[in-house]
Formats: sequence, structure tokens, C-alpha cells
Amino acid sequence: MSPHILVVDDDDGIRVLYQTELAREGYRVTVVDSGRAALAAVSERQFAVIILDIDMPDMSGIEALTHLRKAGPETPVILNTAYSIYKQDFQSWLADAYVMKSSDLEPLKKKIKELIDPVEHKCQP
Amino acid sequence: MNSVTTMPATTHETCVPVDLEYLSEGLDELGIGLLAFDQNERLTYGNQSAVDMVALDNADSDDQPHLVQMADVFGSSLSSAVEGVRQNGSQSVRHGLHCSNRHGRHMLIDLSCLPFRGVNNDPCVICLLHDVRQHHQFSDDTKFLRQELQILTDVAAALSSSSELVQILKVILTGATAAQGLGFNRAFLFLYQQDTNELIGHMALGPVSAEEAGNIWKDLDAMRLSLEELLEDNQSDTGERLDAITDLITDFRVRLDDESAIGRACHDSSWLNLAISDDTDNLTSAFAQQLNTDKLALVPMVSKGHLMGLLAADNQITGRPISDEAVQLLQALANQAAVAMERARLYDNQLERSRELERINQLLAESQDQIIKIEKMSVIGELTSAITHELRNPLTVVGGFANLMLKSTLPDENREYLNIISSEIRRAETVLDQVLDFSRASKGENCPIDFSGLVKRSLDLLKGRLARRELPMFLSQASEPLTVFGNSDQLSHAVYQFLKLVAEELTPPGEAEVRTELRDGQALMLIKIRRPGHEREQVQRTLERIITQNRSSQRLTILVAGETIRYHGGNFGIACGDDSLPSLYIELPVMKERPGEPAHTGG
Repeated sequence: MSPHILVVDDDDGIRVLYQTELAREGYRVTVVDSGRAALAAVSERQFAVIILDIDMPDMSGIEALTHLRKAGPETPVILNTAYSIYKQDFQSWLADAYVMKSSDLEPLKKKIKELIDPVEHKCQP
Repeated sequence: MNSVTTMPATTHETCVPVDLEYLSEGLDELGIGLLAFDQNERLTYGNQSAVDMVALDNADSDDQPHLVQMADVFGSSLSSAVEGVRQNGSQSVRHGLHCSNRHGRHMLIDLSCLPFRGVNNDPCVICLLHDVRQHHQFSDDTKFLRQELQILTDVAAALSSSSELVQILKVILTGATAAQGLGFNRAFLFLYQQDTNELIGHMALGPVSAEEAGNIWKDLDAMRLSLEELLEDNQSDTGERLDAITDLITDFRVRLDDESAIGRACHDSSWLNLAISDDTDNLTSAFAQQLNTDKLALVPMVSKGHLMGLLAADNQITGRPISDEAVQLLQALANQAAVAMERARLYDNQLERSRELERINQLLAESQDQIIKIEKMSVIGELTSAITHELRNPLTVVGGFANLMLKSTLPDENREYLNIISSEIRRAETVLDQVLDFSRASKGENCPIDFSGLVKRSLDLLKGRLARRELPMFLSQASEPLTVFGNSDQLSHAVYQFLKLVAEELTPPGEAEVRTELRDGQALMLIKIRRPGHEREQVQRTLERIITQNRSSQRLTILVAGETIRYHGGNFGIACGDDSLPSLYIELPVMKERPGEPAHTGG
């Protein structure tokens, strides 16, 4: 069974793009539009990776990250945002990776693979 | 001697009326002499004042001396006046008769003779004698005092219009030496230095020789100036005469002590009319010797109990004695001068404070402008951050889908269009990265920044990149602190961008030298690039390419970095260095470091 990825972003276009691209890569994808919806999703099932936007209206990604860590500390989280400044936020260090949003999705997909199968990734030259 | 007893009894009985004797008492009180002559011109009466004036007791053995016998005192004046009365029967008056009595006393007599009839109705002539010499002496004293007052008034008027020390000192010296003033031949001014307790020769006025004195005084006489006019003239004059005599005391210092006459005079604020003798102490003698004189007046200049200086004056050219009265007047002049000097000092202090305040106000105004600019920049930074974020998502979606479609099977024409879309989206995202970098930098606080430290850290960030490309970039920091004011993050970002652009232009085996220095109140960062075989023109073109940025992807970088520098009151450009190679420079105004506010390291 392919890994299941949760995409959390309030932007409709981003959700559609990520769902389409990651599905093409063979992942199962669940998309939600808020931090609260993400918490509800992780309470129902386990995900291989969570891709989390930061700047969202009801609950920021940083706040959601804190709750997600408590709910499932073993699930890798990738912070995915337009702001590089959040890298300096101490709480963002709770995330496993930090990837800037870009039309080039290769860095994001590469990071997902690393987190899902770190052993395989380490063996790569 | 009583006048009545000196007169013969017979005369008294026959010629002198009772009321004449009564009148004589009143005249004695006024110092007016009374002589009465009978028709034979024999003296019949004389009051005490007349006896004193003529000194009758010594000379006249005759009981009733004849009028002619008094010619030794009055010459012919008395005789002719009496004769005039006898002939005309009216008063005869003579003014200002210069006479000497039989004791040699000089008199200036106002004589008034008039007809008179005695108790037996015999015709007589009485003469009233008034010695007006004392009155003239009083007038002379009054005139002298009036002159003194005029001198002090003229000097006070000149001092009141002078606010500069040099002008005041000239007024003092002119007042002391002018013939219309105190009339000393020469005057010397010494200023007191409190920390060393010394008098220091400062300025002098007067001739240096008798020959020069003759010429100067002749010229001054010919000009016929009043003291007021002379003071006005000398205030604006810096003639050679002043300098020549001043040479005598230039750099001459006198350390005051209480053992010497000059030291005591200064300490006690009392004047001295000094004649140098063997008894004179060494310090005072040396002082007089320096001035080439042995008789001089010394007056301390004191204001509110503080010694300001010493005024010395002499008559070395003419040798005229110096009177105590003249020294007292010199002291009065020195007192006025001391007050004027104190006022000038306060005025200078006030002026200095006023200028300092003006400078601080200007500095504050400039700082305020700069702070406003920087604050505006912070607001702009926040705004651009919000806009950039809003643009980032749609760009990601459009670009992402374009890339996704490129992976599918498409006609070549559509593939080409999608490639264009994807490429333009990447370029837009690069621009957004740069804007985001700037907006991130805008969030910092404004504070004093160590500019050299900021440059060093920016260069450290590039070290890895430079090392990979084997491009050495050397740093030479200014020895003095270069503190600038502003947003540390913004300035770090701007400086880093300039350094990065230079590094990107460099190719091995090139190298760059980065130097910080203080020049004309500006903190400078100079970047000089060298490449073997590259001449001045090539380096110039490279630097121009950096700051004009023809490459569109970097245009925003240089624009934002340049504006950041300008918003901080600085500038950037290409400068011609000491050697033949041009440099890229960034300059920022250096701020004065305030106590307790260390410069931010910018880290």
C-alpha cells in the first residue's frame, strides 16, 4: 500500500496542485484547508508525511505543528510556506523539514521521499 | 592781630564810622579785606583780612601810612583806583590784579573802590580787596575732576560697545596712553592665567623710542581727535605701533607670589606707584626691567573678586613723574576694563553655547529625517512581505501546473508555450525571493551599528561560495570605530548583496579587496577587484555592470540594496582610488557614539 500524505493548506490551487502531482507520484493524498481539519484527520488515520502550510487563518501552521507533534510524534511534518522568515521561529524547529513554496515541486517531492524512506535515501550516492 | 588795635586811635576817632567797623566783621568772615583812606589819601582803617593781605604790621612804622606807601604791594593800581573815585565820585573796579604782599604771598586781587562819608561827614574812599586765587584754584580742581569724569565716561562708552576681548584691551590701552586720556607714555596689559597663577604679557601701546614718540604724538596732535574719536579709531586699528611695543612683553610670564610687591598688589587688588630701588624685590625689579623702566604704575584688573589681569603704565619717554592721582584714575579705568573683560568672557561662553545648541539642533533635525526615512522603509518592508506572500501561492500553482502539463503528452507548440510560462514563473519567484529577503530585513530595530563588523559578517557569509570558486576576497578594517545608525538587518542585507554581486562577477584567478575606512565623516566600504591582465577600463566596465545590473534577475537586487543605502543617508557608486584601479564604494554617515549606547554588532 502506497504511503498516505496529508496536505494542509488554505489555498485551493495549492491543494489541487499538490494532490494531482503527489498522486501522479503514486502517493495517496488527503487534503484539508486548516489546522483544525488537520488535527481531525490525524485523529482518524495515520499518515506517512504531513505537508503543512504556515500562514492560515484560523490556526497557524506553527500552532498546528505543536498539536500534531503531541498527537503523533512519529509522523514526519514538512513545513511548506511562502515565508522563509519562519525558519527563524524556534517552534518551526519541531518540523522535520522546511521547504519554500515554489512552482518547482522537485525539492518538496525529494524531501517527502527522504522522510518516508530515510534508509533508502541514505544509501543513495 | 586785631585790625582795630593796629589803627591809630586818632584816625579811628575822626574818620571811621561805627557801621564801617560792623561791616568789617562780616567782610572778615568772607575773607574780604577793607581799607579806608581819608581825603589826604592816608589809611584810616583796615580790617583783619586787609592787614593779612597787605602784611601791614611788618612794613608800616607810620601811624597812618599813605596810599603811595602801598605801591610795593599793589603797584599803581590801588592809587589810580582811589584817585579815580576821588575825581569821579563813583566806584572804581579792577579785576585780577597780580600782587605779592610783604611776606611774599602771591595774590590775585579783585579791587573795588567806592566813595564813603564818615561820621563827621568827611569824604573818604573805602577799598574792598578780594583774593580770588583760591577761587581760581577751586576752579582748576573742578576742571581736573571734570576731565577725569569725561575720560572715564568716554572709556565706558567705548567699552560698552565692545564685546570682543581684543577691542576691550585696545580701549584700555588707548585710554591710558592718549593725551586726551590719562596721558601715560606707554601702557602694558598682562592677562592672568589662574591654573598656573601667572601674568602673561598680552598687548601694549606706546612708542618704542623717543624718536618714534615725537612722530606719533605730532601726528596725533595734528589729527585733533577727541578721546571718544581716538578710542573708536583704535578699536578697529591693528597698527604696527601696537605690535612693536607688544614685542617687549610677548610670552613674558610672571608667576605671582605674596613676597613680591607686584604679587601683593594683585592679591590685595591695590594699585602701586612704583619707583624701583635697591629695596625692591627681585620679581618686581625683573618685571620693570623687562619693560625698560624704573618708575611705573601698576593696577590690577579685578572683577567680582577675580583677578583678570594687570595694567602697567609709565612715562619712560618723557620722564614726567607719575602722580598718585593719575594712578588712582588708571585704577578706575582698569576696574571698568575688568568688568568689560568679564562681560566679554561671558558673552563668548554664551555664543559658544548658542553655536553648540544650533549644531545639536541641526544634528537632531538630520537624525530625525533619517529616522523617518528608515521607519518608512520598515513599513514598505512589511507591505512588500504581505504582497509577496499573496503572489507566491498563485505563482506556485500556475507554475506547478505548467510543469505538470509539460510531463504529459502535448503538441510541440503547446509545450513551447508551457516552457515560456514555467520560465517566467521561475523568474518571478526569484524576484519574490529577493523582495522577501528585503522585507525580512526590514523587521529589525534601528540602532547604532558597528559598520566594520557588519561588513566582516557579510563577507563571512560568502566565504563558502568564494572558497568553492577559489576566489580570495581580503578584508582590511578601519582602525577607528565606524558607527552608523539604522536597521542592522537591512544594511547587512544590502552590503551582502553588493559583495555577492561582486563575487558573481569575479572569475578565477581574480581576487577582491574589501576595505572599510573613515573619510570626511562617512563610513566607507571600498571593494577593489583585480584580475591578471585586466586594465583599468575593464575593471571600470565590470563595476559598472554590477551597479547598473543588465541582468534582469539581479536588477531588483541592486535596486533594493541601493535604496536601502540611500534611505540610511548613504550612497554607492564607483570611485577612483589612489592607484589606477577604480573601486566600488558604499558610504554611510557616521554617527557620534553616545555614552552607554554601544554600537550594535549587526550580528
